[in-house]
Amino acid sequence: MEQRSIQAEAQERIFIGIPAAPGIAIGPAYLFNKWEVVVEARRISEAEVEAELERFEQAVQRAERDLNKISSVAREKLGEESASVFEAQRLMLHDASVYDRIREYIQTHRCNADYAVAHVLDEHIRRLEASNNAYLRERVADLIDVKERLIRHLRREKLLSAIDPEHIIVAENLSAADVVLFSRRGILGCATDHGGPTSHVSIMARALGVPAVVSLHGLSDSVQTGDLIILDGIQGRVVVNPRPETLALYRTRQERYRRLLQDQQHLIPLPAETLDGHRFVLRANLELIEELDLLKKFGAEGIGLFRTEVLFLMRGPLNVSEDYQLHVYRQIVERVKPNPTTFRLLDLGGDKMLPIAHREHNPFLGWRGLRVLLDRPELLLPQLRALLRASAYGPIRILVPMVTALDEYRRFQEVLEDVKAELRARGEPFDEAVPVGIMVEVPSVALMADLFAEEVDFFSIGTNDLTQYTLAVDRGNDLVAPLYEALHPAVLRLVKHTIDAGHRHGIPVSLCGELAGDPQATPILAGMGLDEFSAASPYLPEVKRVIRAMQFREAQELAEQALQCRTATEVATLVNAWLQEHGCGLLQYMQADEPTAGNGRAEASSLQES
Amino acid sequence: MIVREVVVKNKSGLHTRPASMIVRTASRFKSDFFIEKDGYEINGKSIIGVMTLAAEPGARLKLVFDGEDEEEAAEAIVALFEQGFGEIE
Repeated sequence: MEQRSIQAEAQERIFIGIPAAPGIAIGPAYLFNKWEVVVEARRISEAEVEAELERFEQAVQRAERDLNKISSVAREKLGEESASVFEAQRLMLHDASVYDRIREYIQTHRCNADYAVAHVLDEHIRRLEASNNAYLRERVADLIDVKERLIRHLRREKLLSAIDPEHIIVAENLSAADVVLFSRRGILGCATDHGGPTSHVSIMARALGVPAVVSLHGLSDSVQTGDLIILDGIQGRVVVNPRPETLALYRTRQERYRRLLQDQQHLIPLPAETLDGHRFVLRANLELIEELDLLKKFGAEGIGLFRTEVLFLMRGPLNVSEDYQLHVYRQIVERVKPNPTTFRLLDLGGDKMLPIAHREHNPFLGWRGLRVLLDRPELLLPQLRALLRASAYGPIRILVPMVTALDEYRRFQEVLEDVKAELRARGEPFDEAVPVGIMVEVPSVALMADLFAEEVDFFSIGTNDLTQYTLAVDRGNDLVAPLYEALHPAVLRLVKHTIDAGHRHGIPVSLCGELAGDPQATPILAGMGLDEFSAASPYLPEVKRVIRAMQFREAQELAEQALQCRTATEVATLVNAWLQEHGCGLLQYMQADEPTAGNGRAEASSLQES
Repeated sequence: MIVREVVVKNKSGLHTRPASMIVRTASRFKSDFFIEKDGYEINGKSIIGVMTLAAEPGARLKLVFDGEDEEEAAEAIVALFEQGFGEIE
């Protein structure tokens, strides 16, 4: 990054991440450290013991207040199951083996409360870590949370309450609980070094309407509390110490975005239809029952991707019974009908590690998705039974993750037929014609799409993984992340190939990667003939705006041209000009009257170099 | 002192939510409360203790209540186990 020579002005720096929740925030940073707590032992005098016990008592009370708030918001936004985690943490504060032991330790060892807290909780933590029970090992995280919360309150007693409402939280990583607590305090946004669009922090931020950007590698090392930062949750970037021009630019964009949201309201009830009457379907991606309210709010026509992982992550994969799953699925189906709910079967592996998974050198090329399910009937069978039983209550579609070969899918079909036969024998009602589709997220499947299309009921293209596998780029890896180009012509060609193959065999094709929610990609995808767009609900109105501003034939021509492009930059230039011409597109709208720039990422780097 | 035997009925065992329910309920009573599983005894008013039992579905537990309100405590806790902690089965 180039040095700027103006003295007394901090250097502007731009960090590129992944947009997690839309919105623009401008304000001072608050660096939130989930630091590895280093606690020093300090001997105290007999006379100080009483004061130290009181200090501990105060910290417990503050921690308890935190946890009460977190668990009530979690109950509302995430459900009883995740609230219980915080309720358990609250009980830990008063657990005799914590509370009494810490007090006793302070008295007998005449040491500071911080050390006593760390000592007592570390003992518990070590014991649980050594357990061979996966559930108990997972509880270590709760104890660490309790320990850190107490020490934080002991150390900088005003730390959390000192966060002025108008701050942007910067952290290495945040938990859903942190986001809840911060949003309650009225913070402006969240920016984290790690995480992806589907990590808990992102889901929570979207549910609470807090702008957020994740995967901003190294940001937290480069920001001090109080630094002025801009958080752009639309393009996924953070500007630290912006120059006055940049600041002015973003103030305009912020105002535009506010007006845009107001203006979106009229789009919500309208169909996603081109000027010449070509109709598309917009569906939502989601993972929590509590997000169902968002469907209506943003005008989604059913669920294009319900990720079932969260359900399993909350309880531990082997603790999620068929009946419990049915209970959850049924609630969703009944609320979403007459629109369909597309349930993706448990998609483990890759970056979604569960305790039952083992460490792999290359998890993205390893044991994941359907491979895990076929190897683990104890996971697959109850889920299939629960989903089929849920189909008796409303329309569902079953989506199979990470398919790579046809024989693999055929093995799955056999299992499904067995499960159906079993349910018939049990006399359980279910929809015999439940559509079963596959995720197209590996080049091998996209290339063989014509043959898959003969055997499946629908395709859902997962562009996040498809892009990574096609371009051989792990976008979590800083060294190569800029090579992850969602609009790369190679990816577009695979998408087009898949859509055409689907249509030749009369099956609908959906797209559920981030690209589906990116208005920049909308005219190309629409022009290629995609039937359904599925994205996080808040992104849908802008996609609809683009669709409603164009003729289908024009979009087809644009798609043709995009497929002939040589580089992703060429595609971006092409589509940006097109959007400009049609007076739509989120970026175009946000940047109206600004000098034309390339796509989001290209523009960011040019800003960086200037 | 009252001793009761119970079986973990709910399908997911004594995970976080049931464990919290046990501790919250037990804490309402003055009596001491211990849970014994396979010869290992923990304080039933300790959330960490109850979680460490890692009692799976079907596990047999011995509940020991001791104190002035032991009758009421036993009744309340045994009811939780019998109702499967309000989980949908």
